[in-house]
Amino acid sequence: MTYLLPHILNGLTLGLLFALIALGFTLIVGVMEVINLAHGSLFALGAYFALTVIGGGWFAGTEFGAWWLGLPIEHRYILALVVAPVLSAGAGMLLELCLRPTHGKAPLYGLLLTFGAALVIEEIIRLGWGTGEQNLQVPTAINGPVLIGGFIYSKYKFFAAAFSAAAIVAVWLFLERTPYGAIIKAGAHDSEMVRALGYDLSKLRLFVFGFGASLAGLAGIVMVPIWGLRPHVGIDVVIPAFLIIVIGGIGSFWGAVVAALMVGLAVGITGAYAGAWATMSMYILLILVVGLRSRGLFGRKSALEN
Amino acid sequence: MSLFEAHNIQKRFGSRVVLENISLSFEEGQVSGIMGPNGAGKTTCFHVLTGQHQPDRGEIVFDGRSITGLPPQRIATKGISRSFQIMNLFDDSVVIENVMLALPEFRERRRSFLAPVFGDAALVDAAMQVLEQVGLAAKAWEKATSLSYGDRRALEIGVALAARPRILFLDEPTSGLGSDAIRNLARLVKRMRQTVTIVMIEHDMRFLFELADRISVIHWGQVIAEGTPQELQANPWIRRSSLGELADA
Amino acid sequence: MISLSDVPFRTPLATFGPMVFIGLLLVTAPWWLPAIGLYQYLGTEIAIWLIFALGFNLLFGYAGLHSFGHGAYLGIGAYAFGLWQQNVMVGLWSGLAAAILAAGIAGAIVGALISHRRGIYYALMTIAFGQVFWFSAMKLHSITGGEDGLLGIPRPALELGFASVDMRSNVALFYLAAVFLIVALVVLRRLVNSPFGRVLQAIRQNEMRARFAGYEVWHFKWAAFVISAMFAGLAGGLFSMAQQSAYPDVMSLHQSGLIVMMVLVGGGLVSFWGPIFGVLLYFVARDVLGGLTETWLLWYGLMFMGMVMLRPEGVAGMLHLLVRRVSGERSGAELAAEKVS
Repeated sequence: MTYLLPHILNGLTLGLLFALIALGFTLIVGVMEVINLAHGSLFALGAYFALTVIGGGWFAGTEFGAWWLGLPIEHRYILALVVAPVLSAGAGMLLELCLRPTHGKAPLYGLLLTFGAALVIEEIIRLGWGTGEQNLQVPTAINGPVLIGGFIYSKYKFFAAAFSAAAIVAVWLFLERTPYGAIIKAGAHDSEMVRALGYDLSKLRLFVFGFGASLAGLAGIVMVPIWGLRPHVGIDVVIPAFLIIVIGGIGSFWGAVVAALMVGLAVGITGAYAGAWATMSMYILLILVVGLRSRGLFGRKSALEN
Repeated sequence: MSLFEAHNIQKRFGSRVVLENISLSFEEGQVSGIMGPNGAGKTTCFHVLTGQHQPDRGEIVFDGRSITGLPPQRIATKGISRSFQIMNLFDDSVVIENVMLALPEFRERRRSFLAPVFGDAALVDAAMQVLEQVGLAAKAWEKATSLSYGDRRALEIGVALAARPRILFLDEPTSGLGSDAIRNLARLVKRMRQTVTIVMIEHDMRFLFELADRISVIHWGQVIAEGTPQELQANPWIRRSSLGELADA
Repeated sequence: MISLSDVPFRTPLATFGPMVFIGLLLVTAPWWLPAIGLYQYLGTEIAIWLIFALGFNLLFGYAGLHSFGHGAYLGIGAYAFGLWQQNVMVGLWSGLAAAILAAGIAGAIVGALISHRRGIYYALMTIAFGQVFWFSAMKLHSITGGEDGLLGIPRPALELGFASVDMRSNVALFYLAAVFLIVALVVLRRLVNSPFGRVLQAIRQNEMRARFAGYEVWHFKWAAFVISAMFAGLAGGLFSMAQQSAYPDVMSLHQSGLIVMMVLVGGGLVSFWGPIFGVLLYFVARDVLGGLTETWLLWYGLMFMGMVMLRPEGVAGMLHLLVRRVSGERSGAELAAEKVS
């Protein structure tokens, strides 16, 4: 059984990253009642923005660029971790504005819009950063192999897991311990009520979309050394995010985290037996969970049930 | 043996028992009423009787055969039809198509792939006949969404009637209607009762008492009284409760 | 605003007019296509995508079931045709039959797992299945050739009993595709106005009421999925015959998304002819705009987003409003009120 251990650890790391993605996704679904099919593209944007920050982007050939690249990778990486999610948040907020004409109409239109946005963002990435496989430089401190108990693990994966866990805790603190977080939580449960209480629903929606997008973008940056970086890397993000909220419940923090770990583990363990088909396990899991259930989400009424 | 019977129906949602031990029977050729305060369970009862919800316990018998647990589409083919309180029409379609879809002869052809529907004179005529009954013949080719509220109510009943059922369940048919429309509806019910057994949930006590042969009163998830309108009006419980005030009106 | 469920026009001109017009365009295509600077193969491509789009709209527009993974069935049809030519026999009719059957079976299996749902669950399930099919096509190298694709697919001759028509010329292949397109148009037109088609549309509008009217809703939804998959399979078979190869990329989410965009932009949500406008507009964007700039797909995507936001009735709907305005039938306010909800 011990040969499964690395795969289990992989799975847990993946699960923590999925949790980060799913948290943003579930908040958006809860407050906006729209399934954000562009969540994966926002994830990808975060990674590509980080690539630009670290690599100097359009300043690359200039004097400033040379100085920039001379800075230690640690500084540039940390700056990327801060700046790129903010840029993703901006993209997310732009998307929220585009979604406004579809409010009140059939859910189809929101779905179509986010779907279109996903393709548009992917195309922007293609045009802006090229279609090839890219690499993200990471600080040497978190890169490379580490030997534990006779097994070789990736230092980076530990970093990814730890970082994600810290980010999840930060999100929890934000939701549970700040007044803004309380409003968001309430909005995820019942957006009409929040409006009735006098809060500006449009500002709330804008913020939540931006927040959700930033979490996706952050996950994107961290995920690059594990998943690689290509323009369509975001495609494999929406399905696990959706699966996680189907299992864990919309708007539920711990539901998302626990379900994400489960899904991550499933993918990790499948990797032990089926190698390249590991990512397909998420899709097959969704098919099994949704296809064989005659009822929908347990618990509250949601816009998903048409 | 009655045309339609429900025995010992129990229905719970989660831990809440909404229907306790409901037994009802509806005689063929009669107009039966179900009344009761809001939240008493009469709507849930209706849903159970018409197959929208499955009872947790109990049996539903139609024409001597058990229909408990059958889904709505199977129940519909047995000669049971219902209208809805919150209107449930085919909004994108014209009035006549709404009704046509419910016709048994249309349903028989549902697997037909290549025959055009609106060119079939027999279908159109049959649908028009139903529309004449509910007073919508003049608006046959208008879109369902463009009708007035009262006309939509009439269409709602028309769709249920088009199935030529043996028993017709009407869910609060007077809901939202003005007094003229209610009078028309009463006339319609009197016409329909000659060919169809009718069961109605109603809030409008006067309407119910005028038309129903027997009324069951549901409160706290149980049938607390049953009888002809006269018997109920004489019932001291009913008189003393808020229902009695309305019954007097 | 017009709707798919409007009563079909019964005047002969309205019934046959568009069909005859399209028929004429198709028959004369080898003459006017080059005249406007286009090439014959484009005509074949358009005809193939029209078959795909029209069949797809039966599911998307008429049944209101939103599949975002339909490219998979086009791909399955393409691979089935190719594999049939390479491993069983070289034959046009049998190859296309294999394509339609394979896609139909795949559609039947997937349909069986999703047809008790609708809305977002349905949509995401179709995405999941699409990805599984795409991934399988990429990985099952020994069968599909993987990323390199299935190559060297022949164009079998058309055996008509009394004659054999060589399909190697693009003109001949175009006419074959055109004939199939006409057949598809006629079949689908009759289908949507048949009892089956009207019930399907009733289900789109109100599943619950359809149930209470006695219809086994699940069956209809399943049938719609299978039929649209079979049309996709036919298109796929013709496609692999045209390209003489089959690649996984038609099964990708990207391609499946394109057909959705085409159908909406064209007005498939409100009109039978919507998909035709949609496919034509896409090819104009790809070949005309694409000739001018590399970023044409980005503009197409942005246009799609704009239309979803502002004009979900698509080109067909906009044309309808234009005709009404021009013929003075309605005031501006009344036109504005004709919004698609």
